[in-house]
Amino acid sequence: MPRAKGRHWVALWLVAFLVTTWLVYARQTAAIRAARELGDLRGRRANLDGHRADLERRIRAAESRAVLVPRAQARLGLHLPSDSEIVLVPAPSGSR
Amino acid sequence: MARPAVRIQVVEFGVLVGLALLVGRAVQVQILHGRRWAEEAQAQRTERIVLQARRGTLYDRHGTPLAVTQETYHVGIAPNELRDPTADGALISRRLGLTARAWQLALRRRYAYFAGPYSALEVQPLRSVRGVHLEPVLNRFYPDPAVARATIGRLGDDGLGASGLERTLDSLLAGRAGAAVVLKDRAGREYESPARVIAPPVPGLDVVLTLDAELQEIAQRALDDALRRMDADGGDVVMLDPGTGDVLALASRQRDGSARPSAFTDTFEPGSLAKIFAVAALLSLRRVSPMDRVSGEGGKWRVLGRTITDDDPQPSLTMADAIRVSSNIAIAKFAARLTPEEQYAMLRDFGFGALTGIEFPAEATGRLRPPSEWTRPSAASLAMGYELSVTPIQVAMAYGALANDGLLLEPTLIREVRSAGGGVRYRHRPEPVRRVVSREVAAALRSMLRGVVERGTGTEAALTNFPVAAKTGTARRVVNGRYAAGEYTASFAALFPADQPQLVLVVKIDNPHKGSYFAAQTAAPVTRSMLEQALAARTVALDRARLSTAAPRAAAAPVDDDGGLVPYVVPWPYQPDSAGVGPRRAVPDVAGFGMREAVRTLHRRGFRVALRGWGVAEHTWPAAGDSAAAGSMVTLFADPHAGDRVRARGAAPPRRGARR
Repeated sequence: MPRAKGRHWVALWLVAFLVTTWLVYARQTAAIRAARELGDLRGRRANLDGHRADLERRIRAAESRAVLVPRAQARLGLHLPSDSEIVLVPAPSGSR
Repeated sequence: MARPAVRIQVVEFGVLVGLALLVGRAVQVQILHGRRWAEEAQAQRTERIVLQARRGTLYDRHGTPLAVTQETYHVGIAPNELRDPTADGALISRRLGLTARAWQLALRRRYAYFAGPYSALEVQPLRSVRGVHLEPVLNRFYPDPAVARATIGRLGDDGLGASGLERTLDSLLAGRAGAAVVLKDRAGREYESPARVIAPPVPGLDVVLTLDAELQEIAQRALDDALRRMDADGGDVVMLDPGTGDVLALASRQRDGSARPSAFTDTFEPGSLAKIFAVAALLSLRRVSPMDRVSGEGGKWRVLGRTITDDDPQPSLTMADAIRVSSNIAIAKFAARLTPEEQYAMLRDFGFGALTGIEFPAEATGRLRPPSEWTRPSAASLAMGYELSVTPIQVAMAYGALANDGLLLEPTLIREVRSAGGGVRYRHRPEPVRRVVSREVAAALRSMLRGVVERGTGTEAALTNFPVAAKTGTARRVVNGRYAAGEYTASFAALFPADQPQLVLVVKIDNPHKGSYFAAQTAAPVTRSMLEQALAARTVALDRARLSTAAPRAAAAPVDDDGGLVPYVVPWPYQPDSAGVGPRRAVPDVAGFGMREAVRTLHRRGFRVALRGWGVAEHTWPAAGDSAAAGSMVTLFADPHAGDRVRARGAAPPRRGARR
């Protein structure tokens, strides 16, 4: 086997250096890309949370007595019952 | 020309020298100056940031969130980084609500900062705009800002509780901030790394309040309507559960629309509301028999240099009559049988002149002077509810003692404290303060109060099917230390139902200008209206199983007489709500179950289920292992990621049927 000459060693060192540098670069790039995706996902989750909170707020507002009672009275002709119109039926003993 | 071998040796020597220099420099950089360079690099590439802790959520007693923490954003704009200042500017201005002038000013700055805070929805379209930097910040959010605003309170600019329960509970809700290191790139953009969290933030504890959001809304609406109709200066409504001391609703409103927590902080002279406490002393000390009568003096009685009058003169009155028609003359005559010390002790025992102990940052003690400071007419005045100032919450607790067979409880606004994982850290148990009167005396007093509603001054509060016990109070108002002419406080304290009361209601109307100023015509109808709405409401914390037996006339009520009106429909077989007294059962542990199976499991155990969220079951209220009445409502909390958290807590792994 022929003995490696000096230029070969230089070339070998150069290649090793390039490979190492490329590995570091690739790892950093992948990490930064992952970090960006993580940030984007967090943003999307925050956006969805905000959307959900907004919807919940609107549902609660729509379910509130201030909204429902006047509409039920105006559209359906319902009214708030007086106590004489409320019949509570006693639960039979042993029923769940 | 040198030979090749020599040339190679020269090159090798050069490389060696180069390597030696490199190694030398490396030694210099890494070892001699290593620490300084490392610190500089660290400062350039990383930044230590504070990780805000999520502030705990405040819930009502049924799990409805009243105060939650959400991520919002501050927005920074670097004008030189914008790709298209005109188009980007239009979008940014629209999303942030900036005027054209404000945007022009921002463009002139090197870095414009808008504190907002802006919601995630508002800034979502800006995430992809180069030159826009979003800074997340946790912010407090009140889903329905009008509900119990004064009681819940607010945060200050420093993020700490500034008023109300936010202040009282600050140490529980706040949690502990964490710290992390973020990586920065060449452009200064920050990247979070899960591996670089130095100390994770500890979220605050969640607090379940005793408030009932639906009752609260009923109280607020009724009070607002009453103030508007009567053109009154202000008013308060307090509702509480006499058996536990739980405050169910607290509404306060002033003429200007503000909502100070006046039920805790503002005192008033209770007037005739206090007559029942003089009677309590007389009955407890056996100074009066039920048949004893005193003269009504034709409605005008001069004693100790002052004239006492009655609005409804009677020839003679028993003590029950004195309460029923609210006779000042009769109660003053009966109270003369008590020594000042006895009269004072009874008022003190009912909690007047002392803090109730409720968890609120500000509470007035009111005024109850000791007998050594009394003047000659003080005994009569106190029996009629003057020379005594009280808060609405004190009145509610004192009437609560009558409802609770003579046992005075400490009021509370806190039902449970829970960790972020759902574990119960604290659960309120009723805290007896003292026994004020015996069971028998309390029953006799309730019977007298029932007479007020059936045949006395409180008939406007009467319900057709449910007996109510109550007392009216109309007192002159003190303005700047003097009784103001023509100004009155109308108040009403009610126990519902009269037997085994489940609700104590106190209504106070300050200085009604329109119509009558008497409590019988002002505060009493408001009370009836609130009771009717509470009865018709679906989720209000009333034990309808007990109510159904408290209304014997209900079964015989001719439904057909209502002219075709459809009565309130009750499911059959009747399922009592969370206040039920059915057989108590342990709540099963459904953490980690799929929602369908969790609901089935709870149904099989006889519970009703209210869902919060979706995904995998995380925890329930009441918590797994706690006992709850069969037929009561169990709130099931689910979350798509609950499975991981449940496994992390070491709970049972998801069983069959668990799905996301």
